[in-house]
Amino acid sequence: MSEATGSEKREAGAGLMEYSPEGLMPFGPVHPALKEPEYFKLTLEGERIVDVAPRIGYVHRGIERAAQDRTWVKNVYLFERICGICSFAHSIAYAQGVESLTEFVIPRRAKYIRLVIAELERIHSHLLWLGLVGHWTGFETLFMWIWKDREHVLDQLEAITGNRVHKSFATFGGVRKDLPEGIEPKLAQATKFVRERVKYYRQLMESEETLVVRTKGVGKIDQNIARRLCPVGPLLRCTGIERDVRVEDPYAAYDEIVPEVKTQTAGDIASLLALRLDEVEESCRLIDEAMEKLPKGDYKVLFPRAIPSGEAMFHVEAPRGELFYFVKSTGSTKPERVKIRTPTMANLLTAKEMLKGHTLADVPVVLTGMDPCFGCMDRITVFDPGKGKEWTVRGEALRKYGIEYYRRRAGS
Amino acid sequence: MQLLTFPGLTFFVCVAFLFEWLERKTAARMQGRRGPVVTGPFGILQPVADFFKLTSKQEIIPEFSDRFVLRWGPPLYFAAPAIGLAFIPVVGLTPVLGHPLDLLFVLFIFSFSALMATLLGYASAGRYSTIAIGRLVLQYTGFEIPMILAVITPSILAGNLSIEGIVAAQGSIWYVLLAPAAFAVFIVAALAELEKPPFDIPNAKTEIVGGWMTEFSGSTLAYVKLTKNMSYVFLSALAVALFLGGPSGPVLTQSVLAQEALFSVYFLVKLFAVGFLIFSIRTALARVKIGQATRLFWTVLTPLSLLQVGVALIMR
Repeated sequence: MSEATGSEKREAGAGLMEYSPEGLMPFGPVHPALKEPEYFKLTLEGERIVDVAPRIGYVHRGIERAAQDRTWVKNVYLFERICGICSFAHSIAYAQGVESLTEFVIPRRAKYIRLVIAELERIHSHLLWLGLVGHWTGFETLFMWIWKDREHVLDQLEAITGNRVHKSFATFGGVRKDLPEGIEPKLAQATKFVRERVKYYRQLMESEETLVVRTKGVGKIDQNIARRLCPVGPLLRCTGIERDVRVEDPYAAYDEIVPEVKTQTAGDIASLLALRLDEVEESCRLIDEAMEKLPKGDYKVLFPRAIPSGEAMFHVEAPRGELFYFVKSTGSTKPERVKIRTPTMANLLTAKEMLKGHTLADVPVVLTGMDPCFGCMDRITVFDPGKGKEWTVRGEALRKYGIEYYRRRAGS
Repeated sequence: MQLLTFPGLTFFVCVAFLFEWLERKTAARMQGRRGPVVTGPFGILQPVADFFKLTSKQEIIPEFSDRFVLRWGPPLYFAAPAIGLAFIPVVGLTPVLGHPLDLLFVLFIFSFSALMATLLGYASAGRYSTIAIGRLVLQYTGFEIPMILAVITPSILAGNLSIEGIVAAQGSIWYVLLAPAAFAVFIVAALAELEKPPFDIPNAKTEIVGGWMTEFSGSTLAYVKLTKNMSYVFLSALAVALFLGGPSGPVLTQSVLAQEALFSVYFLVKLFAVGFLIFSIRTALARVKIGQATRLFWTVLTPLSLLQVGVALIMR
């Protein structure tokens, strides 16, 4: 057969490119708007989005399985690695789940310190998202400014825990270190600074015309959709539903320092912006109050290596919403089973609903309105459209399938 | 010879690199960053280094792309602003190339530039490129008419269709003072032509990756990027010539050579002032959507520029 000419090749390729009125457009797995690999198959009509099909599983790391091979306390630092931003939320959710299986009473000071770190983390996570909104809407200056301000919060985290991101700070029975000497004025200064900046950004986000037209009325959901699809965290609160684990089921010191649940009613991206700014301010207030009331005493109690048998469920309010942990122990030094439900997993379907009817230009900002953390949520489900069924693959079967697949490919 | 060295191609390529450096540096300073610092003093050679690095990279041409267009498109695309710049007077009132009707040719260059971008994007046959080209064409149809009206306004005021004539007519007063709306429309249209925020819609990286340049690599990408910088210089130079009196300024010496040097200094100062104006706007705004951009062009800029043309006709 002779070599195909250029135009023949192009015609053969036209099928691949799918230049149909209903064009398919890949968004991911590797895309500048997504910080982690995840695939969204967009069906477009011109620029208008008709359908979105998320496909997850690109960064599945098998952490739940890995946890079964590690000791209880080692897992605190493993689960922290699930998320690079809300790492402390993961570690305290797990630690408190395990603590609830035992008789130990956590010192009050440790509870307060946990609250301070969790709130600092919420501030830095929200600021990170607010900055990224600038990035997604092409407003690079806003992105750079907010991220620069976020450094002040990260500095405090570093001063207290020794690390900026993976703090490795929580442990069973408290926290690993006491607050360092002379941290109070620094923290107060940081919260004051953040409050001032938040005031400025609120005014900027309400007045900057190009940002307003990109966020107001975009990605709108109402309470009905929210009730049907059960998103968590800011995505739920921006529709006006008051849900916050910190208030409903207080953990750490939230029973003594009660946060005010902030809500918005519009349910669009602009309301998410306003809501997160409100929450940053509220977190600043909580930190100030906690530092004022900080009790004296121990910052941890000693914990045994083996955990009594039993099952425990625990949830915390991570910056992105409710983070859920299930822990099962058979009395050994390793957990029998740990199940994690991250907020992104709960929010994904809502994001799909938010996208419908919008244009391609809205995809980055709407899709990420939930502040996604795909690395946190990935799991594997196999779907076979030919046979029309769906099943979840377990570790060993997947391994066999992988070996067979590559053998088949090498053989053919 | 003048065409190739000063004030011709070599000079303007250097200015283009300098523009990119200044744009990056200003944006960085406004955003609280340092910007390029490594190559040369204050990182001034960074754009040059980037260019040569790209040219030395392997060029990957997608299988289904049109190789002929991808091979010959970039030089033609580059030619558009490069030839256009020869019509801008730099050292004196006379440009290197001049023609009594050269303003019309400059308008042709805008269309040609957009056409080449469209062709290049389509030829590379990527999904993101295809969407980007749709946006580019839509944006072009939006800003072309206000842009032409804005360019025509000075020529109405001067009663002349050559750039040389327009510059000469601004001896007493710059047209930016007589026709400020036309200047503003020109700057906004220039932002759209250059695909800078808030009109970086055809290459919005968080939406469609690299826009119509997604599939380019190696030297094609290097030349396309250089062309974009050249267009940047070209549009700023045109704004200087049409609205800011070109290279004219106080005559300080009798020596012809010294005066020519002074003229080029005046020109460069004005050029960088316009460039600075464009990249400050660029840094301070978010990207709008294509529908919002076209609405802005048709409902605000076009009536505004029409009004300005009417005012100019009355003023004459």
